[in-house]
Amino acid sequence: MEPTPTPSVTPPLSLERLASRRLSDRIFYLLCLGIACSSVAILVLLLVAIGYQGASSLTPTFLSSSHDPENPDAAGMYPALVGSLILCLLCALVALPVGVGSAIFLEEFRPRGRALRWVHGFVQLNIANLAGVPSVVYGLLGLTVFVYMFQWFGKLEQNSISGLDLWGVERYYQFLALDERSAIFIPIENPAEPTFQFSESLAGLDGQLRPIQVQAWEPGQRRPLSAEALARTVRVGEIGGVVEIHRWYYFRLPFGPSLLAGSLTLALVILPIIVIASQEALRAVPNSLREAAAGMGATRWQMTQQVTLPAALPGILTGGILAMGRAIGEAAPIFVVLGGNIGKRTGPEHLLDSCVTMPILIFSWADHPVERYRQLAAAAIIVLVVLLLLMNATAIFIRGRR
Amino acid sequence: MSEATSPEIKIDNFDAWYGDFQALQRITATIAPNHVTALIGPSGCGKSTLLKWINRMNDLVPSARCSGTLQIGQLNALDRATDVVALRRRVGMVFQKPNPFPKSIYDNVAFGPRLHFQVNQAELDELVEWSLRKAALWDEVKDRLRKPALSLSGGQQQRLCIARAIAIGPEVLLMDEPCSALDPSSTAKVEDLIYELRANYTIVIVTHNMQQAARCSDTTMFFYQGQVVECGPTQQVFTRPQQRQTEDYVTGKYG
Ligand SMILES: Nc1ncnc2c1ncn2[C@@H]1O[C@H](COP(=O)(O)OP(=O)(O)OP(=O)(O)O)[C@@H](O)[C@H]1O
Ligand SMILES: [Mg+2]
Repeated sequence: MEPTPTPSVTPPLSLERLASRRLSDRIFYLLCLGIACSSVAILVLLLVAIGYQGASSLTPTFLSSSHDPENPDAAGMYPALVGSLILCLLCALVALPVGVGSAIFLEEFRPRGRALRWVHGFVQLNIANLAGVPSVVYGLLGLTVFVYMFQWFGKLEQNSISGLDLWGVERYYQFLALDERSAIFIPIENPAEPTFQFSESLAGLDGQLRPIQVQAWEPGQRRPLSAEALARTVRVGEIGGVVEIHRWYYFRLPFGPSLLAGSLTLALVILPIIVIASQEALRAVPNSLREAAAGMGATRWQMTQQVTLPAALPGILTGGILAMGRAIGEAAPIFVVLGGNIGKRTGPEHLLDSCVTMPILIFSWADHPVERYRQLAAAAIIVLVVLLLLMNATAIFIRGRR
Repeated sequence: MSEATSPEIKIDNFDAWYGDFQALQRITATIAPNHVTALIGPSGCGKSTLLKWINRMNDLVPSARCSGTLQIGQLNALDRATDVVALRRRVGMVFQKPNPFPKSIYDNVAFGPRLHFQVNQAELDELVEWSLRKAALWDEVKDRLRKPALSLSGGQQQRLCIARAIAIGPEVLLMDEPCSALDPSSTAKVEDLIYELRANYTIVIVTHNMQQAARCSDTTMFFYQGQVVECGPTQQVFTRPQQRQTEDYVTGKYG
């Protein structure tokens, strides 16, 4: 090998240029620092402003009561809190298996055949595209597919019973008990009769759907004394109409503006995010591990299930949690699918129940004409932000543990 | 455990390609049972390629193709109908870089048996101990079998990979530069191990270390640009090479 020739002239070292380079380095450093600080400052300012407005409203009753259109001091976010959590959980339950499954197909089961390779490329391309679609578009998709189901099961109308009830629905005649508060349900014997006149003591259900013997009371007789007895007594001659009771396992088609439709729609929103995060996590697993497993005579599935997937799991879970954070804060698709009604007093009670979520509640409160409601919005935002921070902290914890 | 004699590997008129690039040309060779065969040759001459075809690891490479015959005992390794899972159970592989799974030491060794056999806990314990003893690692790890394998040193990890490979009772062991990431004392241990293991296995080892080939192999095959230039008893290849290229390479003149 030839020795490298030493240059005959050494370049002169200009100290002046060195100084100006140092200066520009310094300026650029300060600029970056300033930009970084200002973005954090804006976030802090936002949090302080929200905290200042909302902290005083953040009481235990606020967390345990529901929206009150008349009295803001009694209003709370319980249905929205529960609704958002259940919605988000259900959404993850759908999106995680599907998303991780797709990622495994895309990364670990790359097909050899020409046609399948084409499908593979097509799916990959579309997942990248879907991640960029605005979420409100998913809302419209959810509306057609899940809420109305292309109207295959009849036209869905406001406040009317339509569609196809599959299970978990029971019809009763409904009566008001003597205490004027409790409901009493009497089984229907002749479905053709739209009403039923109460005349004598019968077997029925109380307001909590527990079987009871319904007592009859003739006007003029002595009324029962205890509140409990009043709640199971009906006046003779009272006329009851048919009501539908939905059990917790109630199911119907189409889904209508329901918890299920909402979570499926959100699942579509976060699906591409989960697929991409899982793909990254799988790609980060060193190939030497796959070779080791294959060299031991593992099939592709055994390799994936016993080696690759466990190694990628922290990354996949991190991506999943971040995606759930996205889902819990989404307002637009939920607004399209579930509507903007915040009047519900409980969390969702079955899959097809309506559901209030935090972003929708915050949205309605935030531009309420009454000032007090706007403070409640700030309090609800605090709760939402705390939830999000908790989720992100979990993600960081999982990633850090590896 | 498999103390039966190991199979012979017959390679005949074997070509291998990556896409349009021909990596191996007309290889014809016989790898003797219960021998250590060393594959030597300059970088890029196709040693790993041959090794990876013997247990069909090249199935994982989409562009890899081959033709010719490659017979392991009675089994035609290249036949489409050959079950690669069964093949790889018979032909174990140890890689250049130690690649233990991110699991415990115990689970690493138990990985293969759990895949292939119906074993109860006691049998599994016994098998793990046997394999680790065979790989000369037992005394160093017997008190920390549940510790992560990645907490071992590089040399220990490589011996763990050997233990993992022999735990399923293969008949052939392929080793691709098993000592290149190890220090001299670990290398010596692995070399001793290879020399001992040939009583039970047909061993093929790729190495860039001439002394290593001389120390622990019985037969040496010299590859050059995708072809076998010389194949013979190690003693002869190193002391009285028949070909110019071989002589240049083993004496270090090459390159
Ligand atoms: N996956 C692959 N795709 C395309 N070409 C490959 C691939 N693997 C190896 N090759 C080519 O095949 C030839 C032989 O490679 P191989 O890995 O068998 O060499 P080697 O003898 O093991 O070299 P080394 O001693 O450096 O490990 C090389 O020219 C290499 O570039
Ligand atoms: Mg190689």
